[in-house]
Amino acid sequence: MTAILQISDLSAGYGPLRVLHEINLSVARGERLAIVGLNGHGKTTLFRAITHLVGWQQGSILFDGTQIGGTRSLGEGRRTPGIVRLGVAMTPQGDAIFPGLTVRQHLDCGAWSRRAWKERARRREMIFDLFPPLRKLENTTVGTLSGGERRMVSVGRALMTEARLYLIDEPSLGLAPIISQRVVAALREIDVRDGAMIVAEQNVSLLDGQVDRMIGMHAGRLRGDVGHVELG
Amino acid sequence: MDATLIVYALNLSAIYALMAIGISLLWSSIGMMNMAHGATFAVAGYGALVIGDAVLPGIESALRGSDLLPFIRLAVLLSAGVGTGAVFGGIIYLLAFLPIHDKANFAVRGLIVTLAINLATVQLLLWWFGPRQKALPAIFGMGRLEVFGIPVRYDQAVTITATVILLGVVLAWLRTSRKGLEIRAMMQNPEGAALSGISARRTALPIMAVTGAMAGAAAVLLSQTVFVSPGAGAMPLIKGMIIALLGGLGSVPGAAAAAVLIGFLEAITGVIPFLGQRMVLLVQFGFIILVLILRPRGIGGLLDETRK
Repeated sequence: MTAILQISDLSAGYGPLRVLHEINLSVARGERLAIVGLNGHGKTTLFRAITHLVGWQQGSILFDGTQIGGTRSLGEGRRTPGIVRLGVAMTPQGDAIFPGLTVRQHLDCGAWSRRAWKERARRREMIFDLFPPLRKLENTTVGTLSGGERRMVSVGRALMTEARLYLIDEPSLGLAPIISQRVVAALREIDVRDGAMIVAEQNVSLLDGQVDRMIGMHAGRLRGDVGHVELG
Repeated sequence: MDATLIVYALNLSAIYALMAIGISLLWSSIGMMNMAHGATFAVAGYGALVIGDAVLPGIESALRGSDLLPFIRLAVLLSAGVGTGAVFGGIIYLLAFLPIHDKANFAVRGLIVTLAINLATVQLLLWWFGPRQKALPAIFGMGRLEVFGIPVRYDQAVTITATVILLGVVLAWLRTSRKGLEIRAMMQNPEGAALSGISARRTALPIMAVTGAMAGAAAVLLSQTVFVSPGAGAMPLIKGMIIALLGGLGSVPGAAAAAVLIGFLEAITGVIPFLGQRMVLLVQFGFIILVLILRPRGIGGLLDETRK
């Protein structure tokens, strides 16, 4: 199996602060990987380095044979749309969404490719099948939704255009257990045969049995390939 | 308050709204305080003048005495001004947005670069056209028409109608088109927009061109009563900017409401005997300072449903 994502010696941070220390990580095609660890240990920064949203970064990130890493000290976000268009879909931590748009417009924003835009009505239906509560909220402003509904919208936006790498940051953050389980179950539905998915999460038991591999993250370094874990 | 005063106030409001909404849109979507908006205004005035001088004499001699002539004149001048404004917006994009938009402190750098463009453009216009004020060809002349028994000057009627139509088109474009969706997404959350594959570079060009076109329309419409001159953009720029601030930078309904408010304030101040025209600026600025002390975010926050 070839690696879809090959990260070597990746360091990243904000200003004088170094958050990631020479990360090495390889993700195989078709794999569902979880990165677990406590708050503030670099899980989000790793995702933001892959999409070029950190202050500075150095090291190599090979995505399906294309180099998207490199040394960079300025220009936060400049290459992000290009990386997204290579096929990286990320749902940001919390609800980094457009509060004044409706659910429907919000989903349309995710349909960036020409084909996805043409088929956007059908794809919205697909998202509504995945998250039934959203169907009746189609024309509601996202800023007025509850936390769980926003998370569904945020994940739904990332699914509107098929990606090869899904980066899902903290799907359970701030959600009631039953709703987090629904979100995780929906993540399980995503087809990753041609790509891969990385989930960053603090709640290990929530991901039990839902991923192929777990890696711990501590103080900006990856610690221990846990493999498939069964928790009592 | 008599009816002609209301018409006069609406006429001023229309011009202010065109400038202020452009400035407000630019700030909220690409985070640039465009000090060159005044230069766009002046350049569009000269663009309409030059194109009008080149095209109109031929048309006038071909259609002598036709009733359609004023409308053709209006169409030629307005499209010349709008076109020049849009092109100049594109030039500002190339000079002041593209090279520095991803550098640290873009807001301040953009302000400085566009201010430099503004000054340089005014000097270029002075050098090329000279300091003399010039008049655009009169479109309808100085006649009046009666609307519901209120006498309205032709140019006022045209200004108000054209502004309403133009703003309607721009707002409909923002609400319904795909580009408009991308622009609104970028206004609300630039990072989320980047993660949706929306490139700031590709979105900024149309928004710069559209706001430039709005300034161009304002220039042509205003120059029916005021002359075209190199420094003509300074006052519309300053008033547009403070109205955008009053409306709560970034809020389109706020800017429109603030433009109407300031238009009426200016018209009313002008007819109060002990204030008069010379006190207009003092009253306007005092009012805006007072509002911003009481409501630092302007009046936009009252109108928008959700804001961070």
